[in-house]
Amino acid sequence: MNLAARDQARGPEPPQSSRQSSKLLPVLFDNLDYHRRLTVLDLGRAMPETVEFFSQFRCRIHVVDVYSELQSGGLDRSASGKTLQRQFQELFGFEPGTGLDICLLWDLPHYFDEKQLRAFSSALWPWLHARTKAHIFGVHSAATMLLNREYGIVNEQTLSVRQRAAAQLKNSPHPPSFMNEWLTCLTTSRGVLLPDGKVETLMHSTI
Amino acid sequence: MFDKRKDKISDHAHVNEPALTQPVVATAPAIKTAGKTAVIGPGIVINGDISGTESLLIEGKVKGHIQLASHDVTVGHSGEVHADVTAKIIRVAGKVEGDLVGQEKVIISSTGNVRGNIVAPRMLLEDGAIFKGSIDMDPGETRAAQGVSPAARVAVKSGNMPELATDAIKKNPDLALKSG
Repeated sequence: MNLAARDQARGPEPPQSSRQSSKLLPVLFDNLDYHRRLTVLDLGRAMPETVEFFSQFRCRIHVVDVYSELQSGGLDRSASGKTLQRQFQELFGFEPGTGLDICLLWDLPHYFDEKQLRAFSSALWPWLHARTKAHIFGVHSAATMLLNREYGIVNEQTLSVRQRAAAQLKNSPHPPSFMNEWLTCLTTSRGVLLPDGKVETLMHSTI
Repeated sequence: MFDKRKDKISDHAHVNEPALTQPVVATAPAIKTAGKTAVIGPGIVINGDISGTESLLIEGKVKGHIQLASHDVTVGHSGEVHADVTAKIIRVAGKVEGDLVGQEKVIISSTGNVRGNIVAPRMLLEDGAIFKGSIDMDPGETRAAQGVSPAARVAVKSGNMPELATDAIKKNPDLALKSG
């Protein structure tokens, strides 16, 4: 394989990762039943540190990478609500009986409007249970700029943050009230305002 | 004295300095496989089931099913596999669409691209790797067996007693002694 082909096969160099402490991650992992397998939904890209972190548990991680699906057309934001809901369901591909313990939504809901969030919520709802928790980055106000970032988990107190290599898609940052109104399968239980105007938010299922 | 030494060092430097006549070309690290390994070369295409008693390096295209439970399967940089793979250790530096069952572990390197479900006691994902699907892991020693939840470990590490750790302490009284 010549040099050009090797570089093409390798793809772009992975962006450097920085660390961000989290006050809510310990709460996310608190009171989980470690006697049974942990089931996690990660809407972001598969990160080495996240896989490494969960490798210490008996678990199943579902990596959906919503952002790349939006880029490639696997998710069509112009589709009707029903069509988009079906696309989300196909993307999830969960086996019957799956119950999600943790949902890592990161900042991805800000790439959807209210109709799309409702479709996502409807697709996710059947897979939640009463103790499902979700982690999400909200914004304090709709005027807050959403940075083009990807996230992972380093340990129970620390997140990783990377600049996303791909160009940023159109987005509209939603304040917590908007999320509570349209992401109906989840409701906010705790939030921490971060220096950059994001609100690190813990949500739990409304079941 | 120092000048003499300096001259000697300088002389050595001139003698040992390599002549830079050729550009240095970085090459991708070779895929290393231990022991006897069968190789499917980059120009080979296989449609069918593969099984056997030795490890396998795939640099070509395979469509079907690969079953080498006691040996290793490596999908090289130019390998393209559309198959379910079962092996002791599975390493992916190329492209795979299918389910991977690693009896010991699964490794997706920085050039790897996997779409499918992975079942392994342990999985390693390198920076730059692309993966979509589910990962089933079981390290063999669960949190329950260790008797320590992440929240309780946070309290012990930091030496403080945040409120969220008290439930863990109630379930495991010994932790109260450790946290001091």
